[in-house]
Amino acid sequence: MGLLKGQVSALQVLWRQRNLLLALTLRDIQNRYTGSVGGALWALMHPLALLALYAVVFEAVFKVKVPNLSLGQPYVLFIALALWPWMAFQEAVMRGTTAVQQNGALVKKVAFDHELLIYSAVLSCFAIHGVGFAVVLLVLGVLGFNIHWLGLFSLLAFVPVLLLMALVLALLLGALQVFVRDVEQLLSQVMSVLFYATPILFPMAIVPGWLADAMHYNPLVHVIEPLRNALLGQGSMDIASVAGVALGSVLAFAAARAFFLRLSPYFEDMV
Amino acid sequence: MSATPLIQLSGVGKSYPLVQKGGHQLAQVWSRLRGTEPSHVFKALQDISFDVYKGQSVGLVGVNGAGKSTLLKLIAGVVKPTTGRLERRGRIGALLELGAGFHPDYTGRDNVFLACALMGLSRAETQTRIESILAFADIGEHIDQPIKHYSSGMVVRLGFAVATSVVPDVLITDEVLAVGDESFQKKCIAWMENFLMQGGTLLLCSHSMYHIQKLCQRAVWIDQGRMVMQGDAAEVSRSYLAWHDAKAAHVTQQNHLEKLKNSAHYQIKSWSVNGSSDQTLLTLDMGQALNIQGLVYSPDGRRPQVSVGLLRSDGIAIYGVVSEMDGYALQQNKDGLFEFRIEFMHLQLLPGKYHLRAHAMDPEGLRLFDQVECVVNVTGASRELGFCRLAHQWS
Repeated sequence: MGLLKGQVSALQVLWRQRNLLLALTLRDIQNRYTGSVGGALWALMHPLALLALYAVVFEAVFKVKVPNLSLGQPYVLFIALALWPWMAFQEAVMRGTTAVQQNGALVKKVAFDHELLIYSAVLSCFAIHGVGFAVVLLVLGVLGFNIHWLGLFSLLAFVPVLLLMALVLALLLGALQVFVRDVEQLLSQVMSVLFYATPILFPMAIVPGWLADAMHYNPLVHVIEPLRNALLGQGSMDIASVAGVALGSVLAFAAARAFFLRLSPYFEDMV
Repeated sequence: MSATPLIQLSGVGKSYPLVQKGGHQLAQVWSRLRGTEPSHVFKALQDISFDVYKGQSVGLVGVNGAGKSTLLKLIAGVVKPTTGRLERRGRIGALLELGAGFHPDYTGRDNVFLACALMGLSRAETQTRIESILAFADIGEHIDQPIKHYSSGMVVRLGFAVATSVVPDVLITDEVLAVGDESFQKKCIAWMENFLMQGGTLLLCSHSMYHIQKLCQRAVWIDQGRMVMQGDAAEVSRSYLAWHDAKAAHVTQQNHLEKLKNSAHYQIKSWSVNGSSDQTLLTLDMGQALNIQGLVYSPDGRRPQVSVGLLRSDGIAIYGVVSEMDGYALQQNKDGLFEFRIEFMHLQLLPGKYHLRAHAMDPEGLRLFDQVECVVNVTGASRELGFCRLAHQWS
């Protein structure tokens, strides 16, 4: 089966070029903090500052109470559990989209697998926000918020699926961006719409029926919402749904990679 | 020479899409996805065919924009050919343009690690090589400064050091020698000569015919994306230079190849050494005089220059002089040829075999055109060391 072979070869590329992938990813991460005095400390400061901001705005100012939230869990916890996975996804797609274009010097002068640029951009975002998420969870836990720690195991399923989804978009848009520079502009608009089309600030339960039906076409709904529910200890995981989304992501990844590889020989002409 | 070439090009061509206004980019993506060529293209290279075998060194010559760099990129694998077939075997190390793939914002050290990773090295493997890379590049403590603060010479040095840290089967370099200073050029040339001696294969692009002739056995001349000539490096570079001069002088370019073969460049028509024009092997006693005379042809009637020199049999120069340095003017004879005579009085070379060489040069004394050579066997008895006697006195 050609599709299966495609996936295997993606893994082969990753394994054979693991040194390069690691170097590119580390450089990407390092890139954000070089030149700053705080260095990697910012990686910890940023999520905590954001968390504090949300706490002040939503708890102290708005005093938001989500109606369907059981156990009396505060809104700040509710947001935090969905926001970091979203930030990882969103930033990964944005960075992946410009990855090839920004490494034009490399593409023009060195022969290597261009897909690694996309992978490293996405991986570095997930690594940074993964650490941020861990810090936030830890702080929330220490502060006595009621986190369902066993739910962490569900991340083993949800994070790879979210990663695959980010890779799909990054591969498609990253290849397109080389030819059509408008992609990047359009993407930031689309992302802000997508933010509200995903249950981050609200649970799906309060979305009116007709809108919820439409929102279910957004694959992120099937990752972000159950991920948060697992960490809140609400409901049980729908294995069939997770498996379905995972399979869909794998298939979409194969298609996106084929698209990317089809265009990648011509990157050098355009960057 | 092994049977299968390391690099094989047959009918290779490369087209670049021309930039157009409006929504053509989307049309281009669509045509790429369908596997068709865009409608407006610039043909950077057309119908290039040649083979490179293990142990060969091949130089690419041509004017700016002829397509040399594109060809090197094709062979390096950075660019895929639009037409034709290109096969590559073995590990190919490429140094394309200034500091291949260095990122200006990162430090030299960071760039070295990434460049090594691009060559497939792990961090640990790079770690073991970094000392020798830094030693070769010789940029001292600047290594921890961002590349953007480097001089172009430093970037090239670092690039060359990295590209050669893993000895490739084929090394591709594009004009690197032009940027480095004299001592670095020497280091590079020494490295390349050693690399060639160990059976390495070299592809070099240079505007310096001196480098082409010194380092390459074969050369390929490219003009306007097409191959004009390929063959022996000295022959190709001579033809290229002559063509280049003809072009500069606005001489009609028709049939220039045919003309080149005959007489369109400065050349030594005949010469004799110590009265003998049979230069197979010349014997003289140490301390004897060496008399050289010859006739030089000048295609444009301007007064050419001549250089004469002696080399050791391993190619190391002992002494060379150009007529222009001494203010010597060649005399035109009645046939329109220019005559020169030079005498080395009391030749103080120690016994052994030497090469005597003479070149015809352009009137400016800048370029070597022709080369004639003979072997001089100096006889005599001496226990002195080295290869030439320096005037001395014990007291």
